[in-house]
Amino acid sequence: MQSPAFRVVRALLLLLIGIFFLFPIVWVLLMSFMTNVDILRSPPSPFFVPTLRNYVALISGHLSTSSGEVQIDYMHNLLNSVILSTCSVIVSLILGVPAAYAFARFKFRGGEDMAFTLLSFRFAPPLLVLLPLLGYFQAIGLYDTYFGLIWVYQLITLPLVLWITRGYFEDVSEDLELAYRLDGHSWLSTFFRISIPLARPGIAAAGLLSFIFAWNNFIFALILGSSSVQPVTVGALAFITASGIEYGQIAAALVLSVIPTLILAIFTQRYLVEGLSLGAIKG
Amino acid sequence: MSDKISDLFGAFLAGRVGRRELLARASQLGLGAAAATTFLNRTQSQALAASSYDWKAQSGQSIKLLMNKHPYTDALLKNIDAFKSLTGINVTYDVFPEDVYFDKVTAALSSRSSSYDLFMSGAYQTWQYGPAGWLVDLNKFIHDTSETSGDYDWDGILPNLRSATAWSGKPGDALGGPGAKQWALPWAWELNSIAYNKRILDAAHMEPPKNLPDLIEMAAKISKDVPGVYGIGARGSRSWATIHAGYLSAYTNYGAKDFDTSGGKLVPTMNSKQAKDFTRLWVEMLQKGGPKNWTTYTWYEVANDLGGGTSAMVYDADSAAFFQEKGTKEAGNIHYHAFTPNPDAHQPTPNVWIWSLAMSAFSKHQQAAWKLMQWATSTQQLTLGATKADLIDPTRQVVWDNQDFKTRMNGYPGYLEQFAASSPGAKIYFTPQPLFFNVTTSWAAALQKIYSKQVSVDDGLDQLAHDITAQLENAGITD
Amino acid sequence: MDATLSRPAPVSKKGGGAGKRRPLVSARVLPYLLSLPALLTCIGILIPFITAVIYSLERYNLAFPQARRFVWFGNFIHLFSSAGFWHTVYVSLAYTVLTVGVELLLGLGIALLLWRRSLLTNLLSVLLILPLMVAPAIAALMWKLMTNANFGVLSYLVNAVGIHDFRWGASPSTALFTVVLVDVWVYTPFIAILLLAGLRGLPRQPFEAAELDGVPASFVFFRILLPMLLPYLLTASLFRMLDSIQQFDIIYAMTQGGPGDTLLVFQVQSYLQAFTFTDIGRASAILMVLWVITYALTTVFMKNWTRLRERAHGHA
Repeated sequence: MQSPAFRVVRALLLLLIGIFFLFPIVWVLLMSFMTNVDILRSPPSPFFVPTLRNYVALISGHLSTSSGEVQIDYMHNLLNSVILSTCSVIVSLILGVPAAYAFARFKFRGGEDMAFTLLSFRFAPPLLVLLPLLGYFQAIGLYDTYFGLIWVYQLITLPLVLWITRGYFEDVSEDLELAYRLDGHSWLSTFFRISIPLARPGIAAAGLLSFIFAWNNFIFALILGSSSVQPVTVGALAFITASGIEYGQIAAALVLSVIPTLILAIFTQRYLVEGLSLGAIKG
Repeated sequence: MSDKISDLFGAFLAGRVGRRELLARASQLGLGAAAATTFLNRTQSQALAASSYDWKAQSGQSIKLLMNKHPYTDALLKNIDAFKSLTGINVTYDVFPEDVYFDKVTAALSSRSSSYDLFMSGAYQTWQYGPAGWLVDLNKFIHDTSETSGDYDWDGILPNLRSATAWSGKPGDALGGPGAKQWALPWAWELNSIAYNKRILDAAHMEPPKNLPDLIEMAAKISKDVPGVYGIGARGSRSWATIHAGYLSAYTNYGAKDFDTSGGKLVPTMNSKQAKDFTRLWVEMLQKGGPKNWTTYTWYEVANDLGGGTSAMVYDADSAAFFQEKGTKEAGNIHYHAFTPNPDAHQPTPNVWIWSLAMSAFSKHQQAAWKLMQWATSTQQLTLGATKADLIDPTRQVVWDNQDFKTRMNGYPGYLEQFAASSPGAKIYFTPQPLFFNVTTSWAAALQKIYSKQVSVDDGLDQLAHDITAQLENAGITD
Repeated sequence: MDATLSRPAPVSKKGGGAGKRRPLVSARVLPYLLSLPALLTCIGILIPFITAVIYSLERYNLAFPQARRFVWFGNFIHLFSSAGFWHTVYVSLAYTVLTVGVELLLGLGIALLLWRRSLLTNLLSVLLILPLMVAPAIAALMWKLMTNANFGVLSYLVNAVGIHDFRWGASPSTALFTVVLVDVWVYTPFIAILLLAGLRGLPRQPFEAAELDGVPASFVFFRILLPMLLPYLLTASLFRMLDSIQQFDIIYAMTQGGPGDTLLVFQVQSYLQAFTFTDIGRASAILMVLWVITYALTTVFMKNWTRLRERAHGHA
């Protein structure tokens, strides 16, 4: 069992880690309730009269800046982010999980090369393909479409799904699958009833992470779309204007943009925890 | 609109009634100021429509603008319905934040996309976009009476700005010189001078600086003596923007030039004696009285510090200070001051930035796009923007002379005086050449190294000139 | 690459000739059926990639279209002969090693601390992902504000504990530290969550047995836990390495590659070439070099991965 000293050290470390990772978030949360005058105060202070004006501006779409009333479209950006990230992850899971299973379970000619090739799509820095891609996108009508962006996002999400779930499939014992198969079930039903549930923690982690990476993408969306399909990462920069950076609105935008991912993370957390018991079965 | 009101607006447009009187009489007739402006705008558009020029010629077409998120853009878009009803042209737009705006423009134009018909540009950008073949030479519209309305008054735009947006494309050729192509229409501009916080200067018993040595002394003293405040803000990030604002304005005032073109060749002269002497002073100013994080300072940090009361003075665009006049801690304390850095010089020499409108060569609706360009830069629209929105650096002298604009700007102490003193010497002091961004980025990096004491002024600037010579040779534009 | 050698073969390793007994007719076709859709979906990216390869062999500045021509390896020769390029290689690698190293250690520590389930650790494991959910481009903007000398809360705190004149991203001596710090803040949760999922999937038996036998903790950690966790460590560090060496958002937003040339990593350098200097040829050449380095690093990685995975399975 753990000694009391060990527990104290452990609690202390957790506290330190909590502070390091959460302090900036808390500060941004505070900023989202500040006016720009409060934010740009020297020295900075956590005491201020909270205002909802940043959130009201974002949600209503009317922003009153120092230079008059301006229309903003942040909620539309948020919707775009949800559409783009959700679709990208779903497509990646549909394509990636079976492929990951194939690479983990079967030894087949060219299999490893395919796995490596799929990974290698991540070697190419986005900038390298961006300008040629824009030309092709415009030529074939993919410019400024959800479809086009979701396809490009596969370069980010698919390798992640593939390589993470592959690791899990390899670690899940094959014996359970074989036993189920010997019971007279088809390969397909084994795959869906046994293999996938067993690898669920891995799939959940991969799905969550690739959702986050898709959500955070910036450069593809900026160059390959116009304002009609652009996500929050581009939208939040709209508060950087020549008349000043609206830090309060950026902070509020950031808080709003985190909420959908946070909900997903809480939801996924259940599966991560379930992974514990499944892991025990396996051992 | 009732006849009485109509007559009144008609009288105003014919010049029989002044604007002040118009507003007074309109209010007697039961019109609020806001409504009066709307009516006025509609009437102006009707007046434009009444001339022989056919504003409706491209009616039914649709154009798309690519704009930077800027108060000037807000001023334009606020009024876009008036343009739509005047011309029957449908207008859509994409607005991108300044940080990424030019990336978007470069990407769109380089892919020869016809999705945008016109866009905002600076003059420096046209030195790339023009030779690349992405822009329309606007001379073909400006001087064609069937394309341009008779009352457009091209010559009413400030001459330095007209020439600053025109260039032959030959490296080293003067802006607006022979064979120059008009790559863009000047729309609004900004010139670089001093803005200061009167409260802080008063508390320190100081007058605005007379010249650069004076400025350095003041800034150093403020940084040392006033807690939480430093003396002088200026841009310092690793970007062309660091060079073109305060630095080049003062650099020019000290008689230094970026290139020597006298021999028919581009020879970098950032390491001339004048350049070195001046740079020494500039770096001293920043080390003793500048912001602590100078090498990360962009337009935003410089402006925020002035508005937040942590800098006593800034040497930057007049509009950067102006936009801090509302909704900031120091609003109302900001004053403007024309500045001649060199004690031996006679007048300020501010380098300028020009927000202008340029037309994409890939536009399929060039005539319609031209309609919008001439409308947006017309005297009426610039006046409206200058008096009713924040287009506070208009490109036409007649707007600066407008009584309403003067009255409005008198609320900002020193603004008009600063402009009057700075404007005659204000122009682009860079030698036009397509490697502008390479040169100025390297230049900013060199200043950062000097500031951080990684190299001496002499070595840093010699190395810079050497490096730029190599870049020019490599690109094949040394002659 | 030889597929048979480089693959760990769990199928044959499990013994009993499991492969032979598989009664599926489509056994030969099935793996292709499962994996080809993924490959085919992504293969289209090769077209713009090849276009970019051609650009890298051209003198191609958008501002001088008339000077465009094929120069074979001219851009590369120019690159390799410039001192700035080797600095770029050095900074990019230093950044990668520092970020991946720190994040691995920290991420492993966090995962271990959160391993044992409790309300607190469950809560923390969700909250800790928050930094990852903030887009790096925006996170960097916030960090730039927080490290601002006048308005920044971090500058204020650092000053309050007696470190005066700390200039964060603005000084050549602390710029690398600052961007690594932001990267660590953003991406450590990525590693922590992967390792945590891995830890929670581990069998309990070896640890229970070790505890019963009174095996020293250090032995359990280095000889049992780490080898079992190795596949996850590898996956996590591989993906972090790929992102780190291609870092752009954080560095560009914090310092634009400065001060001086201090943080001029590959992507910042090529971004400037492509978008600011419109020199597509140079930009593509720089990125091709980056691509080759990434390819080489990954290949080395994969070789070791295979070896280590086999060893890991041996231990399990």
